[in-house]
Amino acid sequence: MIAAPGSALWLLRHELRLSWRGMLQKRSRGRGKFARIWLTIALPLILLVTAGLPIALGVRHRQVPIIPVANLIAAAALIMLFTLMLSQTLAAAVDALYERADFDLLFSSPLAPRKVLIVRFLAVAVGAFSIFGMVLTPIILPSAIWGHPGWLAAIVVLFCIALAASGVGLLLAAGLFRLIGPRRTRTVGQVLAAVIGAAFFLIAQARNILGGTKTASVAAVVMQFSREPRFQSPALSWPLRALLGEPLPLLAAIGIGGGVFLIANQLLGAHFAADAAAAAGAGASPARRTKAGGRVRFAASPFSATLAKELRLILRDPALIAQVLLRVLYMIPLGFILLRQAGQGHSLVLPGSAAALSLVASQVSGSLAWITISAEDAPDLLSCAPTPTRTIRQAKIAAAILPVAAMLVPVLLPLYVLAPMVALAATLGCAASMTMASLLNVWWQRPGKRSDMRRARSPSWFVTLAEVLLGLLIAAATALLAAGLFGWALIPAALALAGVLMLSRTDAQIAQALRAAS
Amino acid sequence: MTDALTIRGLSKTFGGKVAVDNLSLSVRAGELYALLGPNGAGKTTTLRMVAGLLKPNSGDIEVFGRNVLADPAAAKQIIAWAPDEPMLYDRLTPLEYLDFVAGLWGVDPKVSAPRAEELLRWLGLWDNRAERCEGFSRGMKQKTALAGALIHDPQLLILDEPLTGLDAAVARQVKDLLQERVKGGATVILTTHILEVAERMADRIGIIQNGRLVADGTLDELRARSGEGRATLEDVFLDLVGAEGAAA
Repeated sequence: MIAAPGSALWLLRHELRLSWRGMLQKRSRGRGKFARIWLTIALPLILLVTAGLPIALGVRHRQVPIIPVANLIAAAALIMLFTLMLSQTLAAAVDALYERADFDLLFSSPLAPRKVLIVRFLAVAVGAFSIFGMVLTPIILPSAIWGHPGWLAAIVVLFCIALAASGVGLLLAAGLFRLIGPRRTRTVGQVLAAVIGAAFFLIAQARNILGGTKTASVAAVVMQFSREPRFQSPALSWPLRALLGEPLPLLAAIGIGGGVFLIANQLLGAHFAADAAAAAGAGASPARRTKAGGRVRFAASPFSATLAKELRLILRDPALIAQVLLRVLYMIPLGFILLRQAGQGHSLVLPGSAAALSLVASQVSGSLAWITISAEDAPDLLSCAPTPTRTIRQAKIAAAILPVAAMLVPVLLPLYVLAPMVALAATLGCAASMTMASLLNVWWQRPGKRSDMRRARSPSWFVTLAEVLLGLLIAAATALLAAGLFGWALIPAALALAGVLMLSRTDAQIAQALRAAS
Repeated sequence: MTDALTIRGLSKTFGGKVAVDNLSLSVRAGELYALLGPNGAGKTTTLRMVAGLLKPNSGDIEVFGRNVLADPAAAKQIIAWAPDEPMLYDRLTPLEYLDFVAGLWGVDPKVSAPRAEELLRWLGLWDNRAERCEGFSRGMKQKTALAGALIHDPQLLILDEPLTGLDAAVARQVKDLLQERVKGGATVILTTHILEVAERMADRIGIIQNGRLVADGTLDELRARSGEGRATLEDVFLDLVGAEGAAA
């Protein structure tokens, strides 16, 4: 089908092409062909064989019962999907305002601004739908072919959720824009998207955070709710009925999704162009002042100057904070588990949690090390300075480790009181894993932009794999040490050390690799 | 007069392509030297080797008697390098940037703090000292980078296209600053495509083409060499590099 140039369909194709290429770039780390094959052929095929076909065979002669438990599960699943999609659409809406610099081009063309906006909003919805659609379609399709054609409606419902999430995401972004201004919208939007994305994880971990006596398991909650009269209302069965393809609930889903999307378009249409123009000018405004005002305490050494510079840049990078925050969110339940189990003397859970803490610490410090080492904005400035490279590197590693260490202190300090041996093991494990991740980022650095942080940060799958494997070995050593098995802990520790030594590079090798990369 | 910079037999190739070809030149202490040449002539590559950013394939570089290749740290201590694209951090303020650069060169904070204020005031950036560089215009960024280059009071200042993209007022400010430094005893080497700037400011001019020095001397010496007694630098330049070379 060839859309006429300038038509909505033509513009949508342009938007989707950009989104698709962006997604490929995000997932491929430069290997576009591999990512294309993976996303379009391999992943659907794997899902079809491992999930779609077995499910289809299993449910071929069965019907999904419309009972309160099933209704609640379906409703909860749709809410979860909406939440996940909202985190995507909010980020995409902020991107639409800030990252894409083509509004001047589009609005200066003879295309109607309204058309431009509705197509861009629609592209946000399609973008959110595509990820989940790619997963859901191969799972549902075999069942739809073998006896349950109505289940195809689940894909329609999914798109309706994407439309609603797109509308709400755009409204949220525009609301933030009005409330806190263009610059802070970018920061808050990115952080909020990360938090919303992790919200489901945190809810799922509520039992760990609040304690076993305060919450029951999710399954138990669903069973309990399903027995309560207020959750037995026929209206609550509509999400499930819509998923199964019943006409009226499906129409309602289309109405709600399409309605929210159209209302958002109607509400935002008049202001969006102005907001986008204001956002485009926000970067050029000279009024962004620092809290310290005009006072700066000048550094006394190259190390302290570099450390101060790196910490300032980390703290002022909203995208980076959003990324780190997301990883730190996963630390919260771990911290609660550690402290509670330590208080109750549960010796088996403690080592595992200490190990997991060291693994997360290595991930976060690895990300920060990539930012401080590989995403240097002015490498030539550092190269032409008389400061030894070693000093600058040490400062950059310190800048990557210190923020993570600061976040670990509130967990580790009380742990020293409750379970000193576990605390010591966790401290050693975290220190070792953070050092390992930072060193790998020094030895295998590859220059990149800070904005690449949102994409893959590692130079190769080999290093990524090595970082994970070494992190797991250190985590195993941490767990064994926390359990008091000192001798056994030496085995993974020695293996990790050997791995680190094998991956080490001399300064000359690093310089040669950097020259080759440039 | 002592030589601020001595280059002997310098060569650099990139994957078989010769960028600098057995280049030799010297710049005297306390002079403003303009290095001219068509695009791709090897000017920036030469200056990057002097600044210690690139290693030559062969040859020797000395800055005030300090060998750049044998003792880079000692040479870097007295050099400042300012490329055409300012080496800045968008999320730092000018004052924080100067703090960082001064720290890299190991300048005592008691010296660097007042010097930073002096430089920012001189360049008209003092009122912007607490604003992040991300919102700065090209001229403001260039001036901030220049302040960074001067914070450690270098003896040799190397600037690659320092006036590119600057409006007339900022360009005048930068030119005045450079002449001020030369009067104060510093040596300045700059590359520029604006030949009038070289004509008016430079004590001596070097013309480089295909990685080789084709002419070197005062404007009068270059005129004499090209055989056109009252020619402008543009005429001399075109005569020496040829119209095709200049258009490269």
